[in-house]
Amino acid sequence: MSAAANGRTAPLTRQGVEISARGFTWQHAERDRPAIAGLDVQIPAGQKVLLLGPSGAGKSTFLHALAGVLEVDQDAGPTGELLVGGQDAFACSFPVGLMQQDPETQVVQSRVGDDVAFGAENLGVDPQEIRERIPQALDAVGLGALGYEHRTQELSGGQKQRLALAGILAMRPGLMLLDEPTANIDPGSIPPLRDAVIGAVESTGATLIVVEHRLEAWARQVDRVLVLAPGGGIAHDLQPEALAGDAAVRAELAQAGVWIPGYVPQTSPAPRAGGAPMLHAEELVCARGEHAVRTAPASFEVTGGRALVIRGENGAGKSTLALTLGGLLEPVSGQFAASPQLADGLPPSPFSWKAGALVARIGSVFQEPEHQFVTQSVREELAFAPLRARHGAAEEQKYDPRQVEVRVQELLERLGLQDLAEANPFTLSGGEKRRLSVATVLAASPDVVILDEPTFGQDANTWRELAQLLIEELAESTAIIAVTHDEHFAAALGADELVLAPAEVAATRTSSGPMLDAPVGDSWLAKINPLAKFGAIAGATMPLISTVDWVSAAVVIAATLLMLPLAGLGIGGFFRRGWPLLAAGVLAAWGIALVGQDSGRVLLDLGIFDITEGSVAGGVATGLRALAMAVPMVLLLSTTNPSDLGGALSQQLKVPHRFVLGALAGMRLLGLMVEEFTTLTLARRARGIGNLGTVRQRVGAKLGQLLALLVQAIRRAGRLATTMEAKGFGTGQRTWIRTATFTRRDGAVLAAGVLLGAAAIAAAIWAGTYNLIW
Amino acid sequence: MSTTRTTQRSTWRVVDIVIASVIAVASGVVFWAWSASYGLFSLAFTAFPPGTALLTGLWLFPAVLGALIIRKPGAALFCEVLAAVVEALLGTHWGMPVLISGLVQGLGAELVFALFRYRRWNLPVALLAGLGSGLFAGLSEAYVVGSVAEYTESMKLFHVGATAVSGLVVAGLLSWWITRALARTGALSNLASRRAHLEPALAVRK
Repeated sequence: MSAAANGRTAPLTRQGVEISARGFTWQHAERDRPAIAGLDVQIPAGQKVLLLGPSGAGKSTFLHALAGVLEVDQDAGPTGELLVGGQDAFACSFPVGLMQQDPETQVVQSRVGDDVAFGAENLGVDPQEIRERIPQALDAVGLGALGYEHRTQELSGGQKQRLALAGILAMRPGLMLLDEPTANIDPGSIPPLRDAVIGAVESTGATLIVVEHRLEAWARQVDRVLVLAPGGGIAHDLQPEALAGDAAVRAELAQAGVWIPGYVPQTSPAPRAGGAPMLHAEELVCARGEHAVRTAPASFEVTGGRALVIRGENGAGKSTLALTLGGLLEPVSGQFAASPQLADGLPPSPFSWKAGALVARIGSVFQEPEHQFVTQSVREELAFAPLRARHGAAEEQKYDPRQVEVRVQELLERLGLQDLAEANPFTLSGGEKRRLSVATVLAASPDVVILDEPTFGQDANTWRELAQLLIEELAESTAIIAVTHDEHFAAALGADELVLAPAEVAATRTSSGPMLDAPVGDSWLAKINPLAKFGAIAGATMPLISTVDWVSAAVVIAATLLMLPLAGLGIGGFFRRGWPLLAAGVLAAWGIALVGQDSGRVLLDLGIFDITEGSVAGGVATGLRALAMAVPMVLLLSTTNPSDLGGALSQQLKVPHRFVLGALAGMRLLGLMVEEFTTLTLARRARGIGNLGTVRQRVGAKLGQLLALLVQAIRRAGRLATTMEAKGFGTGQRTWIRTATFTRRDGAVLAAGVLLGAAAIAAAIWAGTYNLIW
Repeated sequence: MSTTRTTQRSTWRVVDIVIASVIAVASGVVFWAWSASYGLFSLAFTAFPPGTALLTGLWLFPAVLGALIIRKPGAALFCEVLAAVVEALLGTHWGMPVLISGLVQGLGAELVFALFRYRRWNLPVALLAGLGSGLFAGLSEAYVVGSVAEYTESMKLFHVGATAVSGLVVAGLLSWWITRALARTGALSNLASRRAHLEPALAVRK
């Protein structure tokens, strides 16, 4: 194994690979023209290249081609030649590291150590060798302090990107490809990530290609700047200094929306005059939920015609404050009131307003535009809020349909989206989605507009259009509140500043929803092979299927309760986990009592149904049986990490690892999806969808929410799959740093489970309650 | 030109596996999130618990949805079993039996798609798959796993019928509708179902 030949003690040294493209062209399926056409470029080994170009010039496609993750089929394929280290890029002869922009999908595994090892395992590197690479890689990216068991879900965006980098380093790649690695992380996290990247390529000699919109961080660190032309080929091949000096190049790049160093797009001056008071907050404290972290108290005034920027550290709860100001979350304490002018006849608390009244008064723009889309076309999307807007104390329709049509047409023209009026909002480009999401809120002309990180990840053109749009709103006496790190944006709006103090409790990223990989503790059962536990539970509960009786069920339930200490669970903890099962058991029992087979004395006559001694006995037995089959699982779940179960399934039962690890990777997104679902609920109210309405509207709203969740989830899954493929997943024989073993103790657990099942049945037969159901 | 990455129509790519897995997990999230508002529903059914069979279709929709989106052999089974695993892990549903239910329900849908040799993904096939899944679920609960084994014979028949109808409407129709809506958003662009919204509801795919 070449990797092992590098030696145990050698630092991360390896020669970079050269890249050569000759007439390289890539045609995506179902596109009219190729994403890349006739590309000719030579990149020597070890060079650091910054790759630029307008959107649609094929930057990402080029990186994906080099990483070997583009799929060739009957509709899609390359022509020409693309060589990595002298070999066809599509043959994937060399490990290549690829990092994309969404931090959530750059991490594959649920534990830090496993994630660093993932790529190297896929390449079949000797586990002993991988164990030595993990600490080296973590140190190299400045995450050496994290334990291997640390949950990856608890890391910040910037940390996740650095963890992904560590995983790439552990693969010892000769080529590293970064696709807008800093677009989705906060500005404070950019320098550490950048330094980790540069340090890593310099010490390994790897070739580096970075695609970025914001050049400030990278311009001084690279050897060469390549600018792709939209039609195909290379438009410019520059020294990095040209980005600062060459006026023609600067103008051209600025035109394409690239953030060249020292450039701020021009906007008209923001009006300075303040108008009527809109919102008033006194010692306002906010939180996402009852047990969530609370923000530090804040007092401020929001006035029409003025912009207010909310700043503060990560975890201070800026978004939570914005949601509260938007009338989407209930304040925890302090005063928060709308002025009589804004309230327009309603009580002062925006949270108490119905959705239709809210959109006419306060508009909220979420960070992710797709969270807010509720219809199937741009036109409907723009008409949505004004059609629902209600004004006055009597909550009358704010606009009649004729007026709405006029407003929609105006907005389409103002945003330059006329040609896309019938397009599905989800199919727009990133910049178009951002503009649309702002316009959908402006459509109902609220007096207050709240935006969460509106300029995050946007190119300079979208930035300018957005700033200009909001400056025009200020001139119309609208109040604007923006959560943003972007100082230029704040300056363009002439904004006042509110600095939110850090939240009182250190903001540990605890998720309020369900978790699949909750810590399993170090109880006796936690050390048992997951398959042995699973087998034991099957052995104990499967025989119960054959009978409905209370004796066998009681035996299994009693045995489970006796084993709780082995799982490190007290009776309280057990009930906290198991209560839904209890509820379900009771419901099942009641169902049988009502409509089960009747016999014996009639206890209650309910017309067509009787409750009899027989049906009650049947009900009790059914409820107990359901419980007995369910509760032993609590022992497994509270002591087993799903990743370990997956590892055992794959290594010992030979379930294909692609399916096991693919499933685990998808499951890791659970926490994220729960968060997203909650956000979607708030976003729906922000669009004017209330909890009330006809059944049809409510079902429609639920389906729309499900659809939005699935769109996000499927997109994420696609990116995650790309990450996994770039890390060599699914191609060959892999190694495992955690080897599943089956000891005599595991065998004993398995046997105990099987014996329990047999004992339960024997007890029922002995007691005479056993009855075969088939 | 190397074609090492060219794949057969029936083999699963990494992206198919991960997306199928995420569909199952998203379904789990929806079950979890809706179970709060669903509290009212079940309260209504407390008066007549066998009526909950009418909601079973909700639990079957990952099977049909997964198959309609992924369009590979085994997708219905994989998604439904995984959704069951997620439910079990979240502790919101019955331990071991939920895994068996997942297997049985997934199989019901899978068999229908297999019957059409994994070549037809139109509305009638989706409805049949929903029906198959519901029928398997109902029969298993009444006669095999026996969670309603103590019902009277006529109530068992009601149970099977209600589950089947629920599967047809919720799992079949809903999944078909969602697949088309998803295709329209462009989210399915790297999957076999990327043109689902352009396919006729009833006609046979060439």
